[in-house]
Amino acid sequence: MNGRRAFVGRLVASGAGCALAGARRLGGEPLQDPFAAGSSLRVEEGGLNPTPARWFKTLPDGWVECEVCPRACRISEDERGTCGTRENRKGRLYTLVHSRPCSLALDPVEKKPFFHVLPGSEALSLATAGCNLACKGCQNWEIAQARPEQVPGMTLTPADVVMKAKRMGAPLVACTYTEPVVFSEYVLDIAVAGRAVGVRTVMISNGYVQEQPLADLCHEIAAYKVDLKGFDPVFFRQHTGGELKHVLDTLRRLRKHGTWTEIVALIIPTQNDSEAEIRALSRFVRDEVGPETPVHFTRFHPSYRLQNLPSTPVATLERARGAAMAEGLRFVYLGNVPGHPGENTYCPGCAKVLIRRYGMAMAENRLKGGACPDCHRTIPGVWS
Amino acid sequence: MSASEGRRRTLAGLAAAAASASPLARVAEAFLPGPPPGPKSAPSRPVVAIGRREGLVTPAGALDMNVLQAALGAAVARAAGEATAVASMRRLFKPTDVVGIKVGCLGGRGVSTRPEVALQLAAFLQAAGVPADRIYVWDRTDRELRAAGYVIASGRGVRVFGTNEDYDERLVEWGPSASRFDRVLATELTAVISCCPLKDHGLAGVSLTMKNWYGAIHNPNKLHDDNCAPFVPHLVACPVIHDKLRLSVVDGSVAQCHGGPGRAPRWAWPYGGFLASTDPVAVDAVGRQVLEARRKEVGLPPLAAEGREPKYIAGAARLGLGVADLSRIARVEV
Repeated sequence: MNGRRAFVGRLVASGAGCALAGARRLGGEPLQDPFAAGSSLRVEEGGLNPTPARWFKTLPDGWVECEVCPRACRISEDERGTCGTRENRKGRLYTLVHSRPCSLALDPVEKKPFFHVLPGSEALSLATAGCNLACKGCQNWEIAQARPEQVPGMTLTPADVVMKAKRMGAPLVACTYTEPVVFSEYVLDIAVAGRAVGVRTVMISNGYVQEQPLADLCHEIAAYKVDLKGFDPVFFRQHTGGELKHVLDTLRRLRKHGTWTEIVALIIPTQNDSEAEIRALSRFVRDEVGPETPVHFTRFHPSYRLQNLPSTPVATLERARGAAMAEGLRFVYLGNVPGHPGENTYCPGCAKVLIRRYGMAMAENRLKGGACPDCHRTIPGVWS
Repeated sequence: MSASEGRRRTLAGLAAAAASASPLARVAEAFLPGPPPGPKSAPSRPVVAIGRREGLVTPAGALDMNVLQAALGAAVARAAGEATAVASMRRLFKPTDVVGIKVGCLGGRGVSTRPEVALQLAAFLQAAGVPADRIYVWDRTDRELRAAGYVIASGRGVRVFGTNEDYDERLVEWGPSASRFDRVLATELTAVISCCPLKDHGLAGVSLTMKNWYGAIHNPNKLHDDNCAPFVPHLVACPVIHDKLRLSVVDGSVAQCHGGPGRAPRWAWPYGGFLASTDPVAVDAVGRQVLEARRKEVGLPPLAAEGREPKYIAGAARLGLGVADLSRIARVEV
């Protein structure tokens, strides 16, 4: 229909349907099915690729309960869970988005942001449609708050993904943009395929995931970034439609699994920017995730349903950074403020700059074997 | 092809889907007299008209079209306080309207709005002066419509089609969420009828004429928390729906009191009638009452006892969309 074509056309034209702002669009590749000819997948009408889900249980009367995220959606036949990507077909749960990314781009790892994971590397970044939360400030709502039929996609098997990353010299595959928890089976298969050829997989996630899938994912992935949308349960519920406690559980579990973790806190003016909230968040990270966990305070820009708020003042972010460091966090960064000194990594031992950044680019990396070259303090991260 | 030929062809296509199609040649003229006119619906005491007839559902499960015309015609007539269904339609719709009949077909055959019912409503509209090519019957997808027995008709005459992801590009903020609406609803229709099956819903409690509007937005999957209570009232209050909604009809030819929204034959029974009202809250409140009564009859607990209280009905009343208090609703058997 014309309306859909126009909408999709605009998505593609704006880059939102293929490669998001700041990303390097994969040169000259058609959006639709670049690998279809070589793929054995039979994609259904609407671009769906029903693949048995890994985490669910059956219920009486043909219902199922999805066990991938804390929503634990109970789903009747032919219906889907909140994420819009997992469907009950004849009493079994299927993910509809396996091997069907709607976004693909080569990004600097700093864009994720991961500041302690292979600095200066590129990450082949992908997303499928859908998300299990509904954040009012969603930056990618056209794909995250949509069902898979509503956005253009391509067919890319896990093997295709890692070979593509390999060919492009990217040591990482980043599952990002939307919510990789809802395509966890795909993430897992990419991670396993990548391990065989030396390509590591990382997740950029809201952390809204149940214990078992998280454990399975942590077994295979190299790093997990959690978007901690706020630290006040009421705000979190109103802003995302989810419950904060589940994300905090995920952060605790990531520590237990020993998975490299970084945290992003998007600071929204008047919503989650009080010093008390920032300090409480920082104390939680210090005590329950670890004081050396990198925390990125990033700048909000009006988007989706929060068009009425201004961008976050840089001074607010600076205050947040100061408060977090005062609470004992060692690696606290500012995001979406190109050129700010808060983008750099400083040695907690001697305060010298270790990694200098500008925006999403790394300008200098002075680390030697994962340690400060001046005072030899070990800096935690995934450096090689 | 002339307009009348196109219309006949469309009707013929629809008729092929109907189990008892033989009387369809008469449907365009079908405006059987209803009961004597009752009092007009007043905001303080809305009328929910219930038209039930023996023999509506044949032993084979088909609908007897003559009985259907009588039962549905009587309910529609009384809903708007007119003597006939056609008079009601004439009162509620203008010949210049573009009228959408939103059906509910998620449940496939057996627990969806029957094609014959949608077609009969279209026939009443035509008899009231709305041209066939200004009447649309639609739901989420062609696939679901076909599964429920509809024939997709895109030519002249009454159109039958699925949204099929053809959503308006504008994101509309409404209460606790934001959605893109079906493009045709948002941009073409000037008046709508919600026509849904009478059925249970495992999350919402019941799925009736108000929840039927979930099928007109791009993100219904996001809107099922807390028995849908925070969402349904605000969705129905959206101007794109509220300002166009003239009539709400529940197809209770065959109803289902448990196991919804999908088909669960064990809990289906031939209720054998229709509910109609100009008040969407009132008709849903009465529909819920019918389902609760049936649940009791077959030994099921009340919805509230299962944690499925359809709180959104009372919520819609609080939002001023209609009346949920059964003591303030004129429940009229016709």
